[in-house]
This record gives sequence, structure tokens and C-alpha cells, in this order.
Amino acid sequence: MAIRELKVCLLGDTGVGKSSIVCRFVQDHFDHNISPTIGASFLTKTVPCGNELHKFLIWDTAGQERFHSLAPMYYRGSAAAVIVYDITKLDSFQTLKKWVKELKEHGPEDIIVAIAGNKNDLSDIREVPMKEAKEFAESIAAIFIETSARNAVNVEELFQKISRQIPPLDPQDVESNESFKLTRQPATVHRRCC
Amino acid sequence: MVQTAQPTGRHSGADLLEGLEGEVSGVYLQSHPGATSGARDSGYDSLRRRMSVLDRLAHTHAAWLLLSLSDEEAGRILQQQPCGTFLVRKSARLQRKVLSLRVDDVAPGAVSDFPIRESQYTFSLEGSGISFADLFRLVAFYCISRDVLPFTLRLPEAIATAKTQTDLEQVAQLGAGFWESSLCRRKDPSVSPSRGSQVKPPQPPGDPGPHLSLRTRAPSQLERGQSNGALCFVNPLFLQAHRLEGASPPDPKSLPCGPALRTPPPRPPPPRSLPRRPAPPPQKQRSMPETAAWTCPQPQPPPSVRRGIMGAKLSGLTFSTPKRSSAPIPVPPPRLKKQYSMSDADGLRCQIALDERTIEKALSQRRPPAPTAESPSPPAVPGACPDARRRSRGEPGQRLSDVSISTSSSDSLEYSHSYSLSGPSPPSGDGPAGDSSEEEDDDMEEEEEDYGMSVESDQEVSVPLPFKSKKLHVGGTFVLRRALKGRLRKVSGVFNSFMTPERRAVRRIAELARDKGAYFGCLVQDYVSFLQENRGSHTSGLDLLQTLRQFMTQMKAYLRQSSELDPPIESLIPEDQIDQVLEKAMHKCVLKPLRSVVETALMDFQVTSGAWQQLRENLALAKAKQPQELGVDCTYPPDPVAVEKIRHKFHNMRKMYSPEKKVALLLRVCKLIYTIMEDNSGRKFGADDFLPMLTYVLAQCDMPQLDLEIQYMMELLDPSLLHGEGGYYLTSAYGAMSLIKNFQEEQAARVLSSEARNTLHQWHRRRTAQRTVPSVDDFQNYLRVALQEADSGCTAKTLLVHPYSTTDEVCVLCSQKFSVQDPESYALFLLIGETSQQLAPDTYPQRIKAEIHSRPQPQPFHFVYRKVPNLNLCGPTDQQNGNCLSD
Repeated sequence: MAIRELKVCLLGDTGVGKSSIVCRFVQDHFDHNISPTIGASFLTKTVPCGNELHKFLIWDTAGQERFHSLAPMYYRGSAAAVIVYDITKLDSFQTLKKWVKELKEHGPEDIIVAIAGNKNDLSDIREVPMKEAKEFAESIAAIFIETSARNAVNVEELFQKISRQIPPLDPQDVESNESFKLTRQPATVHRRCC
Repeated sequence: MVQTAQPTGRHSGADLLEGLEGEVSGVYLQSHPGATSGARDSGYDSLRRRMSVLDRLAHTHAAWLLLSLSDEEAGRILQQQPCGTFLVRKSARLQRKVLSLRVDDVAPGAVSDFPIRESQYTFSLEGSGISFADLFRLVAFYCISRDVLPFTLRLPEAIATAKTQTDLEQVAQLGAGFWESSLCRRKDPSVSPSRGSQVKPPQPPGDPGPHLSLRTRAPSQLERGQSNGALCFVNPLFLQAHRLEGASPPDPKSLPCGPALRTPPPRPPPPRSLPRRPAPPPQKQRSMPETAAWTCPQPQPPPSVRRGIMGAKLSGLTFSTPKRSSAPIPVPPPRLKKQYSMSDADGLRCQIALDERTIEKALSQRRPPAPTAESPSPPAVPGACPDARRRSRGEPGQRLSDVSISTSSSDSLEYSHSYSLSGPSPPSGDGPAGDSSEEEDDDMEEEEEDYGMSVESDQEVSVPLPFKSKKLHVGGTFVLRRALKGRLRKVSGVFNSFMTPERRAVRRIAELARDKGAYFGCLVQDYVSFLQENRGSHTSGLDLLQTLRQFMTQMKAYLRQSSELDPPIESLIPEDQIDQVLEKAMHKCVLKPLRSVVETALMDFQVTSGAWQQLRENLALAKAKQPQELGVDCTYPPDPVAVEKIRHKFHNMRKMYSPEKKVALLLRVCKLIYTIMEDNSGRKFGADDFLPMLTYVLAQCDMPQLDLEIQYMMELLDPSLLHGEGGYYLTSAYGAMSLIKNFQEEQAARVLSSEARNTLHQWHRRRTAQRTVPSVDDFQNYLRVALQEADSGCTAKTLLVHPYSTTDEVCVLCSQKFSVQDPESYALFLLIGETSQQLAPDTYPQRIKAEIHSRPQPQPFHFVYRKVPNLNLCGPTDQQNGNCLSD
């Protein structure tokens, strides 16, 4: 099986739980075959997808304003960006919109955008209605999911959704695995142009 | 798999035939013993059998290793050939290497392709559990054992029966054309089938014959039983040791170094796809002194030379390397050299010259005559160069010990290594020899440093590995020693002593790069000396580094396409590893000689541009800050001792030339920072916490040179590594450094931007006191303001407005510039898109402008000077509050 390395960039305000989501994703079902990384800012995890293996190289960014200007260095070359907001903080949702805008403007062309509303376990103090976030995500053809890193809710799903949107590998690979070709229906997403 | 002991070779062959079960350390194959011996036992047969299949293959790869051959071409060639004939090529259809084999004598065009699997470290046939270090070994093995094939491979007669190296060279010279040549047809076994070579004639599919006809024999038997037509797999280390004291090293000065010894000026060698490759230059053999045996008998190596040779023992395997062979290069040959004076060797040579067996043995092992090898170099030159060259070439003949073979029946594999040989380091002599050995030491150090590094915590833990006698229990496929090394290299520098194929390839390319007679060498040398002499020719450090990177990338592409590397790198290194091996080689050939030049040049650029001074000042400022001021939150920063430790690591980093190794050190530093953070808090930290901490640490280290280091890594690191962990932390270091570099400005911008934002949000309440704030990037002291009159539309003027000018002041200016009669009724408005906002008198228009510019996606905006709509005292005014411009 071919291993494809996919760079994924994490954006969002500080404190929304960017790294918690990824830590949850990487550390659950810990696989000893994965060479551990030195710290939680950069994590990797390999997941099967169709007849390929997707190795996510997850780049965390610092959410503080002062580091904002460094973000392009992090999202450059990313296959996907996960923008995280905190459903209990309206501000973080505003920041998210700012990131979406920036990515559309300056991000890699076919970058897959995933919006994750974290802290879903705290919905009693929710400030961002799910409907609003969902509609926003739809309007930009982004993946949307509410997660709880604390309770491990929807974390796997988030990355599965990303995986499914990655276009399948080059034709040679498909050719040599013809039997898989028929069963595999890569999700095609029609992304609206902004 | 290799025994260090010298072959005991003087007892009877019959014993040895039976002795297979014991400690068999060599497999010899014999086809139909006795059946053909009578016919073949002419004088030259005895000689030709001294060349191993591996040797034959290695010398003639131009004929059978035809990577660019298409399906059709392969079919066409093989159709003319008897069953069992093979080619190795890259199938365009499968996108991988295949072994194309003629499988049926009768059916026309019955050719099967057996895909070759290239795992991370090895080559193997699809479906087989046996892996090989390179293609030569793979093919050699399948010449003897069919394993997953219908029958064994069959060498063309011309190759199988070649008596001398020269014969093989003839074949090689023809390249793919060999198959059409009279040389090939003449020897067609259909013409003289009785002249079956030592290579087994192909068996019909399903015939178990090949296995039945296999006989393993000990080396000594081989030596004696000359009429049996045995094939031998010779482990190279023995040969190496043998050579070392036996043959005189060629004088490095008189002998060109690289394999491609064309007459200068070198021309680009033909691309590989040409069917006929140029004959490997005869000088190629120079570096294999044992070939001198053809003209002068090779002395028997005294046991003492071999005593320390790393060995390994295979047991329970159907195949292994000969006892007398040893793994390649456990010991740096120059050291070996030291133990052996030339006169000793000469003496031995003379004595042993009389021993016919020795001659034959030497012949059987190695290669054709190299006249130059005859003349011993003066003992003063330790001959490190040829030794290194030999290793760097990765000659197939020397690497047999890399073949690890097991079948599913094999149950244990025992390696035993010992390291006694290394004497004291040779004094660095003058000339290339000294240079070469120095380099090796240097490499060792670096690699040790490197390999120790990515491991575990920063405490330089290296997992102690039993150095002797590693036992592996395996069923089915087992991992080669090389693979083993790959796995363990991170863990222990000790394993560096195993010369991996990768290292050998790197070395070989490095040799080629030093060879002015080679086209590649010429390019590299010219570029290096050009940079050394003209470093001022670049406009900036960035320009310099980018050119350098581009050169390396181009050279890599060249090496992949050209035929100068002989044998082609594809036959030695699995496909997916080639790039990184080439990259490593480039670092060695290009960056190593240029490191100090580049460093100086980068520094000069920085000093000249003033960036150096600015960096120093900002560093000093940043260093004085508390962690909290740099954004460090909720964890304790490293104490001065830890900072000192980090500084030390950065100092080490500066000494390295390889961007990869520098990055590895950077990772070590980052790991240390994480450890400190986690120790102090017990939780995991993401970038929100790590990046500020890294910034703080870099500031504390107070090393302006780090900026150059980071630049060096950023620009020169192999682009394919930029997405990985190294790339991530390098990016973070770069980011942290640029924040520090612009510390004053950043602080200013921060204050500014938050002020500006507040200004925009709380128009009327802001009052800022700071007037000393300098400008940000595209902060201009100009402001374009449009005058909008209810009746006459807009006129715009560009005004000189300082950053700390308030809206009030700007309004005064506007009233003058636009000559408005009643300035009290006018005000300054900011229009963004459809919205319009009156600016409060105490806000700062320039800051507002700067803030808008610095947004990720700046919208068009205008400053408009117009009448305040809700003031009625000035007669007819636009009542459309704030929206007049959009009409």
C-alpha cells in the first residue's frame, strides 16, 4: 500500500483546543509502529484510506496574535487545514472566519478546509450556535464537525472526513490494484469558488 | 554470516562435501558434478571458474541490466535466447523493476516478468522471502537457486564461460547490442549444449532439478576441486583484507580516482538509455589491487589480518557466504594498512607466488589485471585513497556479505561481530590519502552525533546494543544486516562501523566528484572553486544559498541520468532511497568543501546590509525580556544551566555542513525544551506554548549566528524533508528568529495594531499616549484623503501625515489643503466597502491605515473629508448618513 504524506495545518485562537484534538487523534489507538515525535506541536498519524495509507503530518500553529504573521509558513504546502474554534467563545469563531478568508486568499490552491467546533461537551455555555457554524462551513464548502477532545467525540471522524476528500493517488497505483478501483469511490467535493 | 577465520582449505574435498551441515559458511554450486568436467577441464576452465557469478554479472551488467528497455524490446531480445535467459529492466507498465525471463524454449515469445520488490533497504523477488542488498546479488542468487522462479537463471554462454576479465569487458562494451552480436550467438548453447557452464542449464518448469544439483561446498573444497566447476560466492571482506596487505595500493596521485577516467576535458557521458554503453574504463580496475594477481600472484593474507574482521555466521541456511570471506569494511583500511608494511606484503607475495593454489584462488575471486596496481606506492602514502575508493564504489564483488539469505526453513541467524583490527588512527598524511582518512573520521563523528540524536530524550541516551553475537530468530523473511542497521542506526552510533550500501554509494559519488577526469567531477570541482573565488558574485545570502541548492538538485538529476555512475545506482540502492542517498552525497561533495566559504559570505552579507547589527540589538532587547513578555505562559522557562546546554548544542550545529544534521541537532534542542516544559508542568504542549518558549530560549541563547544557521538550513535542506518534523521545527525556529529579529518593530506593530484595532472599534473613546512608535512595513507617511462635496463629487489629495498625527490634526491639514470655508462642519471619515465611519478627533489615521493594510485580506478603503451630515448649521448637506460616496 502506498503511503502518502499529507501535511495538515492547525489554525485557530489560542486555547480553543487545537493541540488537544490532535493529541487525542494521535494518542488514541497508539500505534507503536509510528515513530514518536519529539513534542505535541508536530504529530503524525497514519490511517488507511481505500487502498492507500494516509500519513498525516500535523502542524500546529500558535494562536496568539503576535504569531499570526508566521502562519503562512505553516500552511504553505498543506493538503488540508483544520480550523478550530471553541463553541463557548464567540470570538474564536470570528477568528476562524478570518482564517478562512486568509486561506482562500493566500493558502494553497486546493487546500481542504475543515472546521472543528471544539468543546462540544460544554454545550450548555455555548456561544456559537451549531446551525450558524454549519451554514458558514457549507457556504465555503468546508468540512464541518463539532468535536470534544476531552471526551474523544468526533475526533477520528474529523480526520476521516479529511482523508475522504483527498483525491486518490496517481493512476499507476490504481492500475496495479484494479480490484480496488471499482470499490473505491473517492468523495468528490464540489467546492465553490470564492 | 561470515567467519573470520581463514579458510582451512587444505583438507580433502570429500569431507567437505559432507560437511555442509556444520558451520557452513560458503555455498558452492556445482552443476552436474563430473558430468561435464571431463569436457571442460581444460586449463582455462580452471581459471574461469575462479570468477564468481557475481563477478561476471558485475562486469557485464551493461548487457543484462537494461533499465530503460521496453516490453517489446525485451521480448525481442529474449525470443532469440534459450530458456532461462534473463534481463533486468524497469517495466513502464508496472512502474517497477522486473526480471524478464525466457520461460519456454518452444513457445515463441514466452517471456515472463517477475517484479522486483524494493523495500526500504533491500531487493527481492515478489513472493520470495529472500532479500538482497543489491540487484547483482539477487541475480547471482537466482542463477544458482530458483526459489520462486520456474528454474534458475541462465547466464549467456559468453558471460558464463568468459575466461578473463577482458572477455567480460567485451560483452559489457556491447551493452544491449551484445544479444545481437556474434559473441552471444557464437556461444549459444544450442550450438554446443554439451558445454554447459557452471551455471546450470535451465530446467523445465516444475523440475526440481536445480535444487538437486546444488551442492554446497566449503571454500577449501573449491580451491582444490578445480575440475568440479563450482561456482562460488565470495565474500568481499576477505578480499579486501587480502588486497590490503597483498597488493600494493595504487599511488593515488598517479591514478585517477573515479571510475570514469576519460581523457580531459571530460564530456558528458552518454545517457543510460543508450543500448551500448562505453566500455568501463580499464583503469577502473586499478582500485582493485587484487587484480594484480593476474600478473603477479596474490599473497595469502596472514591470519592476523583477518583476525578482527567482523564476521557473522549463518547456520541452518541453505546458502551462505564462504567462510573465508568477511563483511566489508569493519575497519577503516588505512589502519589495516598501518599494520602491514609493504615489504612484508612483497615478501609474502614472492613466497606465495609459487603456490599455484593461491594463484587460482586469487583468480577465482577477483578481477582482471590492472597493470598499475603492480607498482606499489611508497609506504609513506598509506593508501587510504584507494581503500576508500574501493569502498565507496560499492563494488558488487565486495558486497556479497551483504546478501543475507534465508529461506523459510531457516530458523536462526547468528551474527557475530568483532572489532579487533583497528589500530591507531593513521596520521593524516599529506595529499589525498591523508585527506580521505580524515574525512572518514570526520564522517564517523558526524554520523554518530547524528544518529544518537533523534532518539529519545536529549540525555544522549544510546541504547546499549549487544555488539557481539546478535541473534535473530526469524521465520520466513528476515531482515538483513543492512536493514538491521537501518533500524538501529538511530539508536546506536556503534553501528556506523557497518558500512551500509548507502554509505558506500555516497562515498563512491564523492570519489567521482573529486575526479577531475569525470564530467561530474569537473562540474562539481568547477563550481566549488568558482564559489570559493567569487563568493561576491551573489547579490545576497539568499541568492547564494538558492543557487547552491539549485546546483545540488541539478547534479542529483544528472547523476540519475548519466552513465558515469557505474554500475547504475538503481542496482545498488532501492528506488525510494536513491534520492536521499544522492542528497547525502551532494552534501558531501558540494557543501562540505564550501561550508566555511558560505558561512563567511552569509556573514558578510548580513554585516554589509546592517542586518547583523540590527539583529544583535534586537537580540539584546529580547534577551532582557521576561518570559511572559514573549508570550510564555503557564510554564517555567529553562534555567541558565539548561540554556547553556542548548547554546552548546547550537555551537556544535555550527560546525556541521549537512543541513540534515543541523536540523537533527535543532530537533534535539527542541526536545530538550519540551522536556523542561513538561517536567515543570506534567502536561503536553502544543504550538501555543512551545513557540513562545522557543522564542524565549533563542533570545536567551543570544547567538546572532543562529540566524545564519537557520537560513542555511531553510534554503539547503532537501525540499522533501520540509514537511516532516525537521521542517516543522525549522519553520518554528525561523519564525521565532524573525520575531526576535524584528523585536522592536514587532513590539511597535503589536502595540500599533491593537491600538489601531481599538481605535476602529471604539472610535470615540480611545486616547493613546504613545507617540514614539515607529512605523511598520508599508507604513508610509502619506495619507490620501478625498474631499467630497455635495455638489462637485470628489477630489483627492495626498497629504503628509505622521503616524502620530491625530484625526484632528489631519482635519486641520485638510481644511487648508482643500481650502474649505467652514472646517468646523467637516470631518474625516473612513470608508470601507459600504460602511462609513466618522473618525474621532483623537484617533490616528495612519495607524488605522496600517492596521487595515496588515489584515490578511485588506479591503479597499478611503479616507474621505466631508461635511458632517448631522450638523445642520452649515446649510445644505448630505443627509444620507455616511453613505454618500456609494451613490
